[in-house]
Amino acid sequence: MKFANTVKDGILVFSLKGKIMGGPESAAFHEELRKSVAGGQRKVILDLGEVEWMNSSGLGLLISALTTIRNGGAEMKLARATDKITSLLVITKLNSVFESFRTVEDAIASFA
Amino acid sequence: MRTAADPLPFGERLQMLDERLRELADLSAQLLETLRSGHPDPVLAERFVAVWREAVRGDAVLELFREVERERQENQTLMDISMKLSSSSAIEDVLQTILDSLRQVVAFDAAGIFIYDRDLGQIEIDMLVGYEGASRELIHRKFQEAVKVGQGIVATVIQTGHPIYVPDVRHDPRYIAVRHTTLSELAVPIVLRDEVVGAFNLESDIVDCFTERDLRSLTTFANHAGVAIERARTDQLRQHTRRIQEEIFLARRIQATFLPSTTPSFEPYDLAGMNFPSSEVGGDYFDFISITDNDMGVAIGDVTGHGVGAALLMANFRACLRIESRNNFAIHTILGKVNDYLYETNIPDSFVTAVYGVLDRNNHSFSYSNAGHNPPFRMKPDGSVDFLEVGGLILGAFPDALYEETTIALHPGDVLVFYTDGVTEAHDADGNEFGLERLMDLVRTHRDLPAVQMVRRICDTVHDYLSADWTQDDLTLSVIKYVATIEG
Repeated sequence: MKFANTVKDGILVFSLKGKIMGGPESAAFHEELRKSVAGGQRKVILDLGEVEWMNSSGLGLLISALTTIRNGGAEMKLARATDKITSLLVITKLNSVFESFRTVEDAIASFA
Repeated sequence: MRTAADPLPFGERLQMLDERLRELADLSAQLLETLRSGHPDPVLAERFVAVWREAVRGDAVLELFREVERERQENQTLMDISMKLSSSSAIEDVLQTILDSLRQVVAFDAAGIFIYDRDLGQIEIDMLVGYEGASRELIHRKFQEAVKVGQGIVATVIQTGHPIYVPDVRHDPRYIAVRHTTLSELAVPIVLRDEVVGAFNLESDIVDCFTERDLRSLTTFANHAGVAIERARTDQLRQHTRRIQEEIFLARRIQATFLPSTTPSFEPYDLAGMNFPSSEVGGDYFDFISITDNDMGVAIGDVTGHGVGAALLMANFRACLRIESRNNFAIHTILGKVNDYLYETNIPDSFVTAVYGVLDRNNHSFSYSNAGHNPPFRMKPDGSVDFLEVGGLILGAFPDALYEETTIALHPGDVLVFYTDGVTEAHDADGNEFGLERLMDLVRTHRDLPAVQMVRRICDTVHDYLSADWTQDDLTLSVIKYVATIEG
């Protein structure tokens, strides 16, 4: 898994790419997120458009991220989740906890 | 390279000396005879002196003795090294011994053994002696840098696999100064099974210090260094593999404590369940829990993550579930308590998806709550399917999560099917998923078999479908059949 981030309109957008399966790369992402939140970032979007595949271990990444976000008083939304990821979120009922948008722009707009 | 020191091979010189000495012995006997008989032979005497002079000419004998001594020293140090190699010393100890022993055989002012990592393109380990003056860090870095960019004697030796001798470093453009008093340098590759794995480097403050003999000795020691490196790598690999296997073994043992060993009988319901652990041991769980004579608890669960941590969390889940289910709480309350308990059990990135329900054989109903798990389904005799999706969040992720529960009425001929994603996400050789549809079709096909056979048949089909390349998750399947009693 690879990740990159940019800031758009004061909102931190993380783009995740590849297969999310847990492991050391997830730890690197999590650390980056934690630092951003600790540094004052309050609005975060996870762009999942280029995530090929996520298994249940990958869920751990989303959940840990959300916990970090909430502990830091910030808010996180999802964008461009594939059908597979969406169905995983529905089965685990995490769709009640994550707000998900079709595009990054829609997600950005929702913060207004 | 200087060879005046050894004009002929050692063996030949020894033989020549031997012949001279024999000749001397003969001549000496003859001379003694002439002296005794009173007829001294001046020609014989001259011959004797000539051969004597020949035998002890220059340092010939002394050289030979020195040679023998050096051979003996070298053999002794090689034996020491072999002992170190066969003991379980760390690679650094062995290399240090090699360096220290070499001093007894070859004269040098500084030496270094370098192990090269081909994949990273850099020096992985180095052992240095005699590079005083600058800090070790600086020396390390200088060598690392030079090899990384392919400059210097050591780098060239590693690249070409051939030894290099520089009699005067001031005249060789390849030389990179790491040590400022060095005037000559000798470096040989360390070769292991046709692969250059490093280099052995000697530096001297004397111009043209090293001889053919030194090259031969250094090469022998370099070979030993190669063997040491090989052994260290094999040991490391073996340790790593053993650690992984131990973890898997432990996780499996933990898992064995929370899977049911027998299936209870619960007429008119036919119960069966099977679990096939994966090589990764994700930690699937299924259970039939006798609550009362007429109430049977049914559970299925899947923990995210792998290994011992995940297995422990699952063991915790089962214990907590079984205890809470004895307390006559409502199902949604039980799951709420289990969720809070798991949330506090701080195993990072591990959560549990599960379905817990109670089968009531008096009322023929099934009450349940689904905590983020792949939805079980009830298949009616006509083949139609209802999914069991009421419930709440995946367990252990968020505190104070709320769960809903519901009850469905069961009729004769109904089949309840519980599974984990190891079934639906099994991949074939082309990367296609087994999927829910296929599972439902199989249930339709085999529903008239006794539960235990049905489960086995479906699991066999999944196993046949599986590609050997797919990292398979735990496979768990359990079914409950409401067996229609034959009237009349």
